[in-house]
Amino acid sequence: MTDEAAPRDDAGAGPEDAMGVESLTGEVLPALIARLRAGRLGELEVRTADWRVRLRRDPAARVRGSSASVASAAPAVEAAPATSVARSPAVGYFSPAPQLTVGLSVSAGDVLGTIDVLGIAQEVVTPADGIVVSILAEDGQAVEYGQALADIDPLGMDLAVSDVPGQAGA
Amino acid sequence: MIGRVLIANRGEIAVRILRACRSMGLEAVVAYSEADAESRAVRMADEAICIGPAESARSYLSAASLISAALVSGCDAIHPGYGFLSEDDGFAEMTRAHDLTFIGPSAEVLERFASKAGTRELLAAHGLPMVPGSAGMLRDDAHALEEAERLGFPLLIKPSAGGGGKGMRMARTSRELQQALTVCRSEARAAFGDDSLYLEKWLDRTRHVEVQVIIDSYGHGVHLGERDCSVQRRHQKIIEEAPSPAIDDPTRTELAESAVRAAVAAGYRNVGTLEFLVDGEGNYFFIEINARIQVEHPVTEMLSGVDIVAEQIRLAGGEELGYGQDAVRLRGHAIEFRINAEDVRADFRPQAGTVEHYVPPGGADVRMETHLYGGYEVPPYYDSLLGKLIVWGPDRQAAIARSRVALRELVVEGVATNIDLHRALLEDETFLSGGFDTNLLDRKGAAAFLAAADTDQGA
Repeated sequence: MTDEAAPRDDAGAGPEDAMGVESLTGEVLPALIARLRAGRLGELEVRTADWRVRLRRDPAARVRGSSASVASAAPAVEAAPATSVARSPAVGYFSPAPQLTVGLSVSAGDVLGTIDVLGIAQEVVTPADGIVVSILAEDGQAVEYGQALADIDPLGMDLAVSDVPGQAGA
Repeated sequence: MIGRVLIANRGEIAVRILRACRSMGLEAVVAYSEADAESRAVRMADEAICIGPAESARSYLSAASLISAALVSGCDAIHPGYGFLSEDDGFAEMTRAHDLTFIGPSAEVLERFASKAGTRELLAAHGLPMVPGSAGMLRDDAHALEEAERLGFPLLIKPSAGGGGKGMRMARTSRELQQALTVCRSEARAAFGDDSLYLEKWLDRTRHVEVQVIIDSYGHGVHLGERDCSVQRRHQKIIEEAPSPAIDDPTRTELAESAVRAAVAAGYRNVGTLEFLVDGEGNYFFIEINARIQVEHPVTEMLSGVDIVAEQIRLAGGEELGYGQDAVRLRGHAIEFRINAEDVRADFRPQAGTVEHYVPPGGADVRMETHLYGGYEVPPYYDSLLGKLIVWGPDRQAAIARSRVALRELVVEGVATNIDLHRALLEDETFLSGGFDTNLLDRKGAAAFLAAADTDQGA
């Protein structure tokens, strides 16, 4: 995909960009998600020299919890959606999927890794759509049935990350 | 040598095995299902590992999960307890294939004694008397009728595989036999995947007497005497005692010696129990072998002073028995009461729920084997056994007197139990006389025992 002759193309990912993405997914995104969940903001946007990230709550997700009590006079205090946990389906040794990193965007049913049970791999699947905000077991670690392996923030948010046009080529 | 044991069971027996391991200086890891996360064995354990959900098929019956749990927790042996996979030769084989020691008979021994019919043939060849029965498996209805004519009615139709009364029917006439054969075949096929059946002569008014044996891998064996498990409800043992009040001393010795001799000769190894029916004349007939630790083993421990679970572990590790029959001394009388979470007044329906209050009995020679504690939540997924009260006395009368005291002290509140029934049984003339058979409870009905006890107390 990358055209060597045009490294500054929008799709290009040079070494500096890779560094940027690393810090973005590893540190910045989880912090932003936490901020958005804790507060009452609907949307959050951060710009740096190299990139811009915009998080937006899914309005449907925000009202989902209170839809049964529309007539209620009580103030609609919005509970932050609880973090979903991807758990071990068996007792054995954990191997994470190669793409499993903090910040990875996942859909319910995605495979996050496997548990080796006497040589047979059993899949660790994410129970919800969202973003991986923490990974709780290391490659090769012995885990028991039901052990938490990754926290998934179910967001109720849209996420848009893009290069800032013009900045990349400067 | 065994150094670290995975306890692949639950409830009171997990606690029992954990204690045996600790007393032997072994490390132990308790394997548990999600439903047992708050069980006493898990709380007591230095290490515990969750193996699956409540459903037994995915936890205590999952060979792969248990072996994987043993490997990831660094164990070198698995104790299967009773029930679940304890007599499964495939599991024993799989355990060995992963360089783990199966605490019980080897896969070969389990396989040899897996079929009840095969075991009967094998032990008959080594001199044990059998209940008169069909020669081998029934080929078809015509063969069944032919064998029935030869044996005489009433007869019991039994499946070769399995137990627990499934696929088992009594037939009084050839007409009943023909009808029952079809039902038994389909029940046996559904329950055990094997529909082979055999016939056994129905013996009326029998007692259930079993012999505890311990045999090392080199063929040295001893017996620890017999246990009488005749107080039953629908083939489920409720009270066990030793020695049996129903047989005289020469019969007692002959029974136990012939049992261990036959088991050694037939190749049985490790701890096991040979079960017999005893008729009114003191004739005994072999019925089956239990290739595992049994629920009622503490009765024998109280008489012999032998820690049977420790012996099981020691012999599985390849050690020699190291003593002979003359070193075994059986003293006094012991009675075990199975404490079940069940509503006796509602057809013994199993109960679940929170044990609000638990007070164990105490005193000399009173032993409580249980996983109970105040606040424990009895899960609805497993059998109803909450524990066992075992009481020793120098003779039967003394043991009964101490049992009354202990059962009065025992408090389990929040969940219905059969404790009242035990108290009532200890006032029953037939039980006290020792002259009862396995139908005592079913014939008279639990309600009658409870009503009689209420009247006594009111008077």
